[in-house]
Amino acid sequence: MADTGTPNATSGSWALEARGLGKRYRRGWALRDCSFRIPAGRICGLVGPNGAGKSTLLGLATRQVQPTTGELRIFGVPVDDPAVMPAFAFLGQEKPLFKRFTVADTLRMGAELNPAWDAAAATRIVRSGNVPLHARVGTLSGGQRTRVAFALAFGKRPELLLLDEPMSDLDPLARDEMSTLLMAEAVERGTTVVMSSHMLTELEDMCDYLLVVSEGRIRMAGDADALVPAHALVTGVARDGSLPPELADHTVVETRLQGRQFQAMIRPRAPLPDDWESAEPSLEEVLLAHLRSPDAPSLYTQGARVEAEGTQAA
Amino acid sequence: MSTALTEKPAATDSGRRLLRGMPWLVVRQHRTALVCVLGLTLLAALWIVYERAELVQLLDAKGWPEKDAGQPLDDSRGYRYITSILGGLPLILAVFIGAPLIAGDQENGTAQLVTTQSATRRQWLIAKLGLAYTLALVSGVVLSALFTWWWKPYRSVFLSDWIDGVIFDNTGPVLPAFLLFLTAAGITIGTLIRRVLPAMVVTFLFTVITTFVWDELRVRLGETRMFTYPMDTELPARYAEAYEVDRWVGSADGTLYGWGTCAEATEKAQNACIEKHGIVNDVIEYLDYSQMAPMQWTAAGILLAGTVLLTAFTLWRATRRPL
Repeated sequence: MADTGTPNATSGSWALEARGLGKRYRRGWALRDCSFRIPAGRICGLVGPNGAGKSTLLGLATRQVQPTTGELRIFGVPVDDPAVMPAFAFLGQEKPLFKRFTVADTLRMGAELNPAWDAAAATRIVRSGNVPLHARVGTLSGGQRTRVAFALAFGKRPELLLLDEPMSDLDPLARDEMSTLLMAEAVERGTTVVMSSHMLTELEDMCDYLLVVSEGRIRMAGDADALVPAHALVTGVARDGSLPPELADHTVVETRLQGRQFQAMIRPRAPLPDDWESAEPSLEEVLLAHLRSPDAPSLYTQGARVEAEGTQAA
Repeated sequence: MSTALTEKPAATDSGRRLLRGMPWLVVRQHRTALVCVLGLTLLAALWIVYERAELVQLLDAKGWPEKDAGQPLDDSRGYRYITSILGGLPLILAVFIGAPLIAGDQENGTAQLVTTQSATRRQWLIAKLGLAYTLALVSGVVLSALFTWWWKPYRSVFLSDWIDGVIFDNTGPVLPAFLLFLTAAGITIGTLIRRVLPAMVVTFLFTVITTFVWDELRVRLGETRMFTYPMDTELPARYAEAYEVDRWVGSADGTLYGWGTCAEATEKAQNACIEKHGIVNDVIEYLDYSQMAPMQWTAAGILLAGTVLLTAFTLWRATRRPL
């Protein structure tokens, strides 16, 4: 029974599990052949250029979009089953709220629509930002509105929190405040968080798991701590203006020729030649290299890849 | 500390426990529209009651029905305003309630907000449609009942024939059915267009076109009847309330000729023509007042069938496509 597959010893279960997941729009495939899993309790960054399929993936997870192929499960429950709804909370890019509702009305909406509503937690989040309960949402500042949206999301007591570029429209102060709030609440509850973001530094600070998407496919999935050390940034002397043949012994993500020198981001599979200089790249360098080279072979750390029979579904 | 925090929501809850869950949300979201439509309905309802009392008083004073009362509604401003409200109500419901109902949430992203809580999209849509249809039904039933109560006993002093839109569409089951149909049309158009303002404009145009088509359709809802009577005699009084669709002349063997067949310049030529065709009868093609009720129920049936189809389409589409 691969469906209930026992995850590795360090995590309780899989928060999000995709098998052969794909979505085709009229323009073509937005997401294709996606098979991955995210362990429970992690803060997972969803990285990729615009149009890579991040929003489609989050749309599939929040039942806004129906998959063309494959399936997606949240804590083992297929997303097309309405029983999955209380398990996740979603905060979209626009953070839509009813503008004419007061903050109190907005929280009441959370209470009316969610069986496990935690009024105390929601009120505490709103109060700690000094957002007046009787103010209309339309009159709040961007940071205050985000706080109300967060209160609504956390009041739901989700096991999985899905965020689509939650901080993109906030000023640095509000962004810092919201990140702190997010981390504090998520850690306190053990909530699994999946957040898409363009801010690579934000990801480096907050996320311990990564899902890199490009051109509708998964490029990397796994522990941030394991993904980065798997790479090496090597420099050496180019031969006759072309890359050295020894590079073929390794998995090459990206190469660059500069005069007589070459530089390459590789995943070493054999000992490196002595005349190459090797350095461990930063997370940002690894991500950028992968985003620039969508054809590079994808990388999954242990556990992140779903069994082969799942991927064949597509 | 913690008690102070939990007290607040509990206090606001206890005041309005009447509505819970999704119904609470849609009523809260659309309460302005709700109050406006119900207010307009109440205003029109009270006005009808008042105008009817005025009419009864006036007719009593004139000794109606023994004596001729003339056309007391001829210069009644109240009658004109009330019929304008009744005539405008379908447009108001379609454009201001129907069109923005789903499109507004699609445009603002609140459709996404609501459907990522713990209730399904279908539950949300049913609550939304339920609100709009309840509003249309309440408004339609109340005003139609009152207007029928005003018009029916005193119909002979009303300006319009029973087949005219102002009477036929605003009495009996037609008004509620019409309101439901146009509200459903507005909702469907909104769901397809996904933006409030364009949806309102298209719904407005749709309502205008529907009104024109409906004017053509109305007289075709009943089977016309023929009545033949000797030329140059009075039409029997029982046809006073019949709606004359067409008029013919006929010969003794039953052949019908157009009313103007023998409209010649001179009386001599006219008589010669009548002689030639053997015309002895006048014939009217008419819809009898007794046909009004079946015609109204046919009309309501057509409109309700349309409402059901549009609703099914909206639900089908909105649960399959991203909002």
